[in-house]
Amino acid sequence: MSNVEIRDVRKAYAGHAVIHGITIDIPDGEFVALVGPSGCGKSTLLRMIAGLEEITDGEIAIGGRVVNDVAPKDRDIAMVFQNYALYPHKSVRENMGFALRMRRTPKAEIDTRVNEAARILGLEALLDRKPRALSGGQRQRVAMGRAIVRNPNVFLFDEPLSNLDAKLRGEMRSELKELHQRLGTTTVYVTHDQIEAMTLADRVVVMNGGRVEQSGPPLELYDRPHSLFVAAFIGSPPMNFLEGKIDAAGKLALDTGEALDLPALGHPAGTAVTIGVRPEHFALADKGWPATVSVVEPTGSETQITARLAGRVIRVLIRGRTDVGPGDTIHLHADPKDVHVFDTLTGKRI
Amino acid sequence: MSAAVSVRRRKVPVGHYVRVTSGVVACLLFLFPVFWMVLTSFKMPRDIFTTPPTLFFTPTLETYISYMSRADIPYRMLNTVIVAFGSAFISIIAGSMAGYALARIRLRGAGMLGALILLSRGVPPIALAVPMFLVARSLGLTDKHITLILAYCTFLIPYVMWLMRGFFMALPKELEESAMIDGCTRFGAFFRIIVPISLPGILSTMIFSVILAWEELLFALVLTNRNASTIPVSIAGIAGDSVNGANWGALTAVGTLTVVPVVIFALLVQKWLIQGLADGATKG
Repeated sequence: MSNVEIRDVRKAYAGHAVIHGITIDIPDGEFVALVGPSGCGKSTLLRMIAGLEEITDGEIAIGGRVVNDVAPKDRDIAMVFQNYALYPHKSVRENMGFALRMRRTPKAEIDTRVNEAARILGLEALLDRKPRALSGGQRQRVAMGRAIVRNPNVFLFDEPLSNLDAKLRGEMRSELKELHQRLGTTTVYVTHDQIEAMTLADRVVVMNGGRVEQSGPPLELYDRPHSLFVAAFIGSPPMNFLEGKIDAAGKLALDTGEALDLPALGHPAGTAVTIGVRPEHFALADKGWPATVSVVEPTGSETQITARLAGRVIRVLIRGRTDVGPGDTIHLHADPKDVHVFDTLTGKRI
Repeated sequence: MSAAVSVRRRKVPVGHYVRVTSGVVACLLFLFPVFWMVLTSFKMPRDIFTTPPTLFFTPTLETYISYMSRADIPYRMLNTVIVAFGSAFISIIAGSMAGYALARIRLRGAGMLGALILLSRGVPPIALAVPMFLVARSLGLTDKHITLILAYCTFLIPYVMWLMRGFFMALPKELEESAMIDGCTRFGAFFRIIVPISLPGILSTMIFSVILAWEELLFALVLTNRNASTIPVSIAGIAGDSVNGANWGALTAVGTLTVVPVVIFALLVQKWLIQGLADGATKG
């Protein structure tokens, strides 16, 4: 096991910068998820850790050793690719034992380790099959088995679950978490699925445009997003936003001309702000912000209401059931501590 | 519901019949000359030009026996095998590696380089044959197998490179990246992972390369005389006999003998051309 230090790493293709100086320190045994929209540079950063992309500037160290010029095979890492990248001409057993064979591990030890990994992942019956005879979920397991059999310093995962259907993805997510708890290996996990990042990782790094927007424990990102981007990216259903200015009375004057009562937030009048409220932080009340219901979606344990508030579509999540229907006017209340206020111009949290 | 009830005859679309008929007609068009060549090779000279042409005659091996007993035919056949397989083998190795480099390694101008190499195929062979002869003569290499093999490589390597480049580009690059993380060098990943997966492509390219070299006439005519001369040169000699006229029986017999080894080779390697070998490598 090893820590991973990423120090002011930059990447440019033909002079066009895609990673703008990223610094992340990943302690030994931590599970870090790099999350962000397509093109934010998360996969490029992972590939730089793996040694599959050259580093334009900065340093990456694994276990205290700078690996900028170290070949992938000498970094003692294992990587699971989005498309699994199983060797089609080799059996499951050969796929899993390939890296050990390349390291001239004795055959008896290879067999022992492959069998152990197969037992952990429930692949014992499939060891002599070729990848083409496996289902998507089984291939995913083999790809993970190929990684764990090596007992590497660092695991790298590049969107490993994105090709699976929703049910299998949920199952594999739990298995991955259990596997990390059991092995405790330092893990860097790239995903565009914030639910995956939140549920799996000890720490989530949100990336945007080749920069780190925010890094921290999942619930910290959820509860105190530093920017509009993070607030919008983390959470499902997403946070509701309302733009306007603080008026002299301390109310939020919306662009539509309406004014909403704001809790006493203490911001100076005239500040252009965007407030964010998570759907579950709205409560139905007798008095509050008036909204017109357009859709009601009960799921049993909770009810999602889509409504229009001052001309904007918002989502409200109510625990349990409610008898409101489309066309009804509801009054919404949000606890001041649950209202996030951002500077509209900079996008930063105030 | 019983199986008998659930199985229904699906209506075959008209397009299917059109495609099958077109395929059969195309096959007949291409195969008829070969069929006629083989048929003619077993005819006596008097049966070759009967009017109307006949499909039923007393077959004879006379033409085969008389030409195979000529000392130069088996020898030239052996030369053709050496030159065709030698040049195809070298071209497959060099062309595959070049194709892989062009497909995978990020090099400025790689696309242009590939296009230029392909463009070299557009140079008329006659424009190369005479300078090649002059170079070979000055090096004392005329009428040698290696000269013809190297000459054939000039057009086979670009051909192999271009075909294999397309094949490699269709493979997910994560396969060799995974191999490189697992402990291979770039070369190791190529030979241990990419080559075995690409075997169907390599073998089909090999078949076409052998055929191209097998039937080549111009370079063989210019660069060889007796020792390294190939079968197409013999056929040209028989066809161009200005004293007795073309000996059609001999032409078709030698033509048949020329085709048979290539067909046997293609049938032998066909079992290796397993479709879908790469299935299961990636998502699915």
